[in-house]
Amino acid sequence: MKPLLFVALIALAPALLAEQKQPTAPTPTPLPVTSRSRALELAGAFANDGYKIRDGFWAGSLELGKPLFVEVNLFSGNEYWFSSAALPPAHKIAVDVFDQKGRPVQGERFQDGATAAAGLIAQTSGHYFVRVTMTEGEKADFCLVYSYK
Amino acid sequence: MIPRCAILAAGLALVAGHGLAAVEPMNKAQIKSVVRVESLTIPTPGEFFAAIDKQGQPNWTQLFQPKSVTLTSNRAQMALMLGVLVADGYIAVEAQDGQGVKNTGKEIINLGTKLNVSKTILGRGNSINDFAENNDWSALREELEATQNEVKLAMAEQKDQNLVILVTVGAWTRGIDVAARFIDKNYTPGLAALLRQPAIIDYLLSQLSLLPTGLRNDPLVLHLQQGLESSLKLVDADPAKPLDPETVKSLAKTAAELVTSIAEGAKK
Repeated sequence: MKPLLFVALIALAPALLAEQKQPTAPTPTPLPVTSRSRALELAGAFANDGYKIRDGFWAGSLELGKPLFVEVNLFSGNEYWFSSAALPPAHKIAVDVFDQKGRPVQGERFQDGATAAAGLIAQTSGHYFVRVTMTEGEKADFCLVYSYK
Repeated sequence: MIPRCAILAAGLALVAGHGLAAVEPMNKAQIKSVVRVESLTIPTPGEFFAAIDKQGQPNWTQLFQPKSVTLTSNRAQMALMLGVLVADGYIAVEAQDGQGVKNTGKEIINLGTKLNVSKTILGRGNSINDFAENNDWSALREELEATQNEVKLAMAEQKDQNLVILVTVGAWTRGIDVAARFIDKNYTPGLAALLRQPAIIDYLLSQLSLLPTGLRNDPLVLHLQQGLESSLKLVDADPAKPLDPETVKSLAKTAAELVTSIAEGAKK
């Protein structure tokens, strides 16, 4: 009798354990989409090309016709990408970079709806200004991150 | 410079040149409206060292001369030293010295314990060890910056906001110390141009001036402020001209002396 009970327990063990585990199994929940996560997603494309993404970020609220500026300090010879994203109801944003006298800096730009990026090779060391502009849409949260190599 | 493959693979459009003719220069009101966000406005030592790597061939192993932490109960000194250690971590990464990174990470955690922020950064300490074990230098750079930012966040949360700027000052001063020492011995106009960052020093001084009187009058903080003012005079020159060798030498001397003061405490 006892050996039979033992065999039965062994046979049933996986099912019993599974039943015990089921209620405690964590339910995966998607992380909330934030302007930062979208900006990091865009910056990730540049990371594939050797760019290191800074941990710091600039976030806030962006309005149509009210561009925002942040100061950054760059090193000559380094290559940079400034990536930004805004959440709905923003439809379209742009990123531009200016030198310390406020003149637009030659570089490359990426734009796709509410995500945009500006890339440049710093010609001189010193401070620059990065502008984030909403060109279509309504007041929305935005975030800017940057990467360098 | 553009990771075209990555962008094009994602089916996105890249606009080269971007019709700059359409971008108007900033007006005075816009220049006045510019904000400074410490975690973005102040570059990491890693960025600084990346720029040096492109123009010179530093022997980072030789440059990695970590400062030992003197026993102190002065929280300002501890915060400044924490910044120095973060910069040392970046130097160890450049030197690809895994043990050096681990030792520096341990020192950061020890100092964090004294400043009551160790709970926040203990996990980071473990990650630093793991990445150092696997020689993942790129991840280590990110981890060091994240550690520094978490320390600052924890300081702000426990109402030690005033110490945050001191961590930044410590890291920047150590970065200048190492960079200027190397450039002094291997002078080229291109390398010297990297040291010309007056806006960063201006930012640090402006933040120090906002500290409460007691902390602002701490002998070490006062000493740092004076040193930064001297450094600003040295680097606030014509952007078109690189710093000359004598100026680099003076900057190296000032920064080295400031780092020694942080490690040893202000002289009474």
